[in-house]
Amino acid sequence: MITTLLIFHGLCAVFMLGALTHQTLSVWWPATAGGAGSVFHSFRAVRATAYANTVVVLYLLTAAMGAILYPTYRIGVRIFFEDLRLSAATGIFELKEHFVAVGLGLLPAYWYFWRQPLAAETAAARKAVTALLAFIVWYAFIVGHVVSSIRGFGP
Amino acid sequence: MNMSRVFPVFSVAFAVLYVLSMDNNWALFTYLPRSREFYPLVFTPPTPRIGPGMYWYGWLATSAIGAAIVAAAASCGPASWAGRHWSSLAWAVPLAVILVIVYILRSWFIRVA
Repeated sequence: MITTLLIFHGLCAVFMLGALTHQTLSVWWPATAGGAGSVFHSFRAVRATAYANTVVVLYLLTAAMGAILYPTYRIGVRIFFEDLRLSAATGIFELKEHFVAVGLGLLPAYWYFWRQPLAAETAAARKAVTALLAFIVWYAFIVGHVVSSIRGFGP
Repeated sequence: MNMSRVFPVFSVAFAVLYVLSMDNNWALFTYLPRSREFYPLVFTPPTPRIGPGMYWYGWLATSAIGAAIVAAAASCGPASWAGRHWSSLAWAVPLAVILVIVYILRSWFIRVA
């Protein structure tokens, strides 16, 4: 059950990572007519507004699954790390839980800045909030993967 | 209700309240994963046998309720409070909070005298 949930947690994170990365690059490095045809151009030439609601739903879903998994980590994995004195592994996960919490609080502003029609006066804030959320999701994804790799599956 | 500041104010207030909650342990409730029990406010397990207490959910609840109250209060404020300031604070404050969290948790990575 926990392993299944962990896999779905990871899959939702992958979808969110893709959506947020497309969106972040499209606002920070907009596609120009000159590079049409290249893979980098295609990656940036997306309709960024279309991702906003999906990102909010995926973030909430991924965080909810993470919250359900968290007690298993607390009593099954963190104690294992502490026994092995892997303080850096514990520390990066501590940072993950706090970054994800800050990201949860950031979602209302993110959703508001991406609301249609896009307001020109919030363009800078929209770019910054999207980049911050992308950083949080990338960090959480990498740390989750690293911690799972250190501990491994099973009892 | 001025929507142009409700959502950014919520995000700013949530970030500030969250870092204060985690640093001062202002948990609205405590969860004991081993016994699957909830306790109001901060509960310290009396013996190690009961297992560790989890405060993260409680910090989220404290921050969410506090931020909702602040955002609701801000929406009733004068119109002059609106504007670009909240838009800028909506990303600058969470970014600052992330840096503060890294500083608070630095002892996991480096020896702190």
